[in-house]
Amino acid sequence: MTREKGAQKTRRTGRIKTPEAVFLGQLANQQSSKYRLAQGFGVLFAVSLVLQAWALANVFSDMALHQSFSISLLVVGLFALLIRALANFGRERICTSASRDIRYGLRGKLVSHLTNLGPARLRIEEDAALSTRVYEQVDALDDFFSRYKPQVFMVTLIPCVILLSVVSISWIAFFVFMMTAPLVIIFMIFVGHKAAQANRRQFNVLAMLSNQFMDLNQGLAELKRLNRTNEARERLSDSANAYQKTTMSVLVLAFLSTATLELFASLSIAMIALYLGLGLLEVLPWQVGSSPVTLTQAMFLLLLAPEFYLPLRQLGNDYHAKQKAEAAATDLLEILNAAVHTAASQEEVSRVAGSNNAATTNQLTSIQFENLSWREDGRYRLAPITATINKGERVWLSGESGVGKSSLLHLLLGFEENYQGMFLVNSQPFGELDLASWRAKLAWLPQTPEWVNGSIRRNLLLGLGSKEGAALPSEDEINAALRESQCDDFIQALPAGLETKLTELGAGLSGGQMQRLSIARALLSKADMWLLDEPCSGLDKETAQTVLETLEKASKGKTLLIVSHDTHPIAWVDKHWALTKGGLHEQSRKENRQAIA
Amino acid sequence: MSSHAKKTAKLSLKRLLLANPWGFIIPVMTGIAATLAGVALLGISGWFISAAGLATALGGALAFNYLTPGAIVRGMAILRTAGRYGEQVTAHNHLLGLLRTLRLWVWDQRVAKDVANLHEQSRGDLLQRLVSDLDQIIRWPLVVFLPWIYALLAYAAVAIFAYFILPSLLWPLSIAALFHVFVVPYVCGHFASHAVHVGQILGVHRRSRFVSLFSALITLTIRGHWGDYAQRLGELDERQRRMEIRIQQAVSLGRLLAYGVTIILLASSFYLLGSFDAETSRWTLLDGVQGTWVVGFVLSLLAVNELVLPLVQSFVAQGQSQVGLRRLNQLHQDAKVQPESKTQAIHRMSFKHWRGFHASSGMGNQAIDFCVQTSESIWLRGASGSGKSTLLASIAGDCLSSGDALINNEKCDLYSNQSYQAQLSYLPQSPYIFQQSIGANLRLGNPESTDDELWSVLEAVALAEWARNLPNGLETLLSSQGRNLSGGQRKRLALARLLLRQSPVLLLDEPFDGLDKATIETICHSLQSDYKPDILILVSHVSSRIGDSSRVIEL
Repeated sequence: MTREKGAQKTRRTGRIKTPEAVFLGQLANQQSSKYRLAQGFGVLFAVSLVLQAWALANVFSDMALHQSFSISLLVVGLFALLIRALANFGRERICTSASRDIRYGLRGKLVSHLTNLGPARLRIEEDAALSTRVYEQVDALDDFFSRYKPQVFMVTLIPCVILLSVVSISWIAFFVFMMTAPLVIIFMIFVGHKAAQANRRQFNVLAMLSNQFMDLNQGLAELKRLNRTNEARERLSDSANAYQKTTMSVLVLAFLSTATLELFASLSIAMIALYLGLGLLEVLPWQVGSSPVTLTQAMFLLLLAPEFYLPLRQLGNDYHAKQKAEAAATDLLEILNAAVHTAASQEEVSRVAGSNNAATTNQLTSIQFENLSWREDGRYRLAPITATINKGERVWLSGESGVGKSSLLHLLLGFEENYQGMFLVNSQPFGELDLASWRAKLAWLPQTPEWVNGSIRRNLLLGLGSKEGAALPSEDEINAALRESQCDDFIQALPAGLETKLTELGAGLSGGQMQRLSIARALLSKADMWLLDEPCSGLDKETAQTVLETLEKASKGKTLLIVSHDTHPIAWVDKHWALTKGGLHEQSRKENRQAIA
Repeated sequence: MSSHAKKTAKLSLKRLLLANPWGFIIPVMTGIAATLAGVALLGISGWFISAAGLATALGGALAFNYLTPGAIVRGMAILRTAGRYGEQVTAHNHLLGLLRTLRLWVWDQRVAKDVANLHEQSRGDLLQRLVSDLDQIIRWPLVVFLPWIYALLAYAAVAIFAYFILPSLLWPLSIAALFHVFVVPYVCGHFASHAVHVGQILGVHRRSRFVSLFSALITLTIRGHWGDYAQRLGELDERQRRMEIRIQQAVSLGRLLAYGVTIILLASSFYLLGSFDAETSRWTLLDGVQGTWVVGFVLSLLAVNELVLPLVQSFVAQGQSQVGLRRLNQLHQDAKVQPESKTQAIHRMSFKHWRGFHASSGMGNQAIDFCVQTSESIWLRGASGSGKSTLLASIAGDCLSSGDALINNEKCDLYSNQSYQAQLSYLPQSPYIFQQSIGANLRLGNPESTDDELWSVLEAVALAEWARNLPNGLETLLSSQGRNLSGGQRKRLALARLLLRQSPVLLLDEPFDGLDKATIETICHSLQSDYKPDILILVSHVSSRIGDSSRVIEL
């Protein structure tokens, strides 16, 4: 939606704007009142700048000519300097606060968007990389909103104010300013373009370097065993050297352009100083014997000359902020543009479903698919299928990767509502169900079990003990669940037992043990319907077999849909669904057994 | 030994500064030249114009030498630009060199870490250290050190100028310098340092909570508890925001203070330079003080003011660099002393009460006794969870162990013992394939291998046919973690790499998992002929020809 809006805007203004620029512009508009206030401070800053120059010019010329000066003018000059400092302070505070509001608001929006995307978020990136986008990339916008954005206004304001105050004093100085300003701007665009290229290339190469480091680090144990750590170090060193060389060759050019810009500014200041000095000496070739300016005016011009170029130079320095922000915006837009197909807000659904609540709080009796399919971008994610699961039936879903096995599970989890055909639960259309109470009936056992950092106990009880006052499972219940999932043996062997910390890497538990723990969790949740997504794909055959045996015993009486590859056949299911690009083929229990045998 | 000690010494800002002193001196010198030229440009122009004005007013304009100051002004302009350019180029070159040094330092620390705890560091955390912490540290010379030196030197130059105008000006000047260069930045840095530190920690905490919660997103959502957890994530963000406000406040206030110091300095300089003349109610300069010089002095003070403003921020950056450094130093490992004795080619290994176990969970196999010698092979069997793999890893010296190991009848500490490990090849359950070409991956086993040797070892693990059908053959790049290979191919490629090492002892953990009968047969044939090790220890639940001809140990 944001994109459409952006596209309209682009057409209206008739300028080519990248989606990133549009996105950044929209974010800045959220804080337009703050930016306006900052502009007010900017005007105050510019006015006090001119005032200070005027007062000090008078003090200086009096001092040079008469060795004395009026105190009130000095006070005005110093006061103007103070006002300038205060205006700068105010501007800075407002701009940083605007940038904060924009960034933290955006971050909240990203997190809730990712939540709504559910499992689909992994199509963008894995979680660790997403966290980089949500935190680092959003913070990468800071310089743009707190410095670059307000500076763009100052770049037009200050030179204009200075030109206005100069025009009545000296035409020559006015023309020097007028002539050099466009040159400076043209160079800046050139510089910016070069810097952008350099930046982007540097970014890519740096990412590659990190990637290489992480790859070698992941295989470090292997390298140590092979005794090749020194060779790896050399590789790292070589690529860092190569990076240094290529980056420097780009930077030498990029800085050269910046230096040219600086040279213009410095030379114009020197030119004006020289012109003023020669003018005062009355030796200008075209004006010998008379002075174009008084000493006061000359001082005034000299004081303003560096200020004229300063904002431009600062903008040149901040230009990389814009590049950085646009690069970050690309990544952030990828998240925000990923369409969410879940119900926009869950409260709305529960209101609609109010009357049907009775149906869903009851026991699950059946799930029916009638010509259910899911098309995305004109391509079937899931070919039309028609099938039924009755209460207490255990179904094995197999098929090649990419035929939509996981997609079907995501539909059942309620993360995708953009399906075609009929999807009925207890003969109610799925869309009319109260999503929260439907989900409460589910247990989810994916390929890599979902663990948070914390003890085994915390993970077993994750999300249990609801707000409605349902008590946490008792110690006996936990022990029973552990026994049934055959976790009790290895948990007893752990020195810290249930309090052992689980981390990202599983604290030395094997894949099979982790899967058993998630079976225990499913038991504790007392869910009616278990959804399993390739629970055995990471395990060797032997372990997979024992986990499946445990699963058979533990899931008796539950409704179960298990996605598993043909390499891990499951003999004990009631139905075997073979999913293909053409649709679903159902085998009964007997046929399945025969096929496996 | 000294180079090894240097590799693993702790990092400090001083060490970074001295890492490449000659590379650093050039940017410092050019930067100083540019800074002084910038200050002089304004000062000399001011003096030049006012002196010119005075000369005209006194009627001596024709005698005034305007060529020299004019040339100086232009010269300063060019020097300032060229100096700034030189500084930026050389400083960035130095910075990139520093980046290289630091990355290699991190690598050395990782290598020095013992194998059993290698995975203590999560990938995300290491990546954060590698990218953002390194970034905070390498910008230290550019953002903190150089501006500070420039401000100090600019003050020194102005002080010399002031001495010639009126020696008593040195008083306010030195006090202002003290405030500008030391006190204000220090106070602001101090005010912000806590926030910088907490902010950095919160950042890490927030990221790990994000990853942890999102990895359990579906479970939390279907239990209806996502809201509570997401709120806690939001709270962390809110705390981070408060820290950010504090830091920004410190910086803004510091700038205001710096301006204040400049204003007071200007006022007190004027006060010292003149006296109030009640008659004309004007401030008159003291005798012997040249008005034209004062103009130059005041203008150069204004130029110095622009130089000291960035210092406030630089001390916050200093805090960030220090936090980054501290976090990086957490990776620091002391160099381990390797046992002096060299292990000769192994012909006999015997184990008493031997038990391998994992450092974190303490789980492993039941203690066993066994012995194996040249031309013997052993098939370790046992139920899932009996600790076969852990036992094998402990024999490979990759995993902690208890009990005694006698290698060639000599007692030997196996864990992380490089000279022992050089004598054996160990294929773990999930070996690692690097993001390099097939050839480069294989040559990790033996860098001197010829292409023919690579093809014959691929033949031995039944991968030659597959590799020949690839358009780029041995040069084919493998994707991250060998994702474009099947599990069986990955394992066989790693096995081929080990076979190239031709080491006397071969330890294989489930080499046949997921392979068809013909492939298993090929591998068994190779292991019994061309690539036959002196000692073979096999863990497998699949029966094979090589297993059948081995001594079986049941766990």
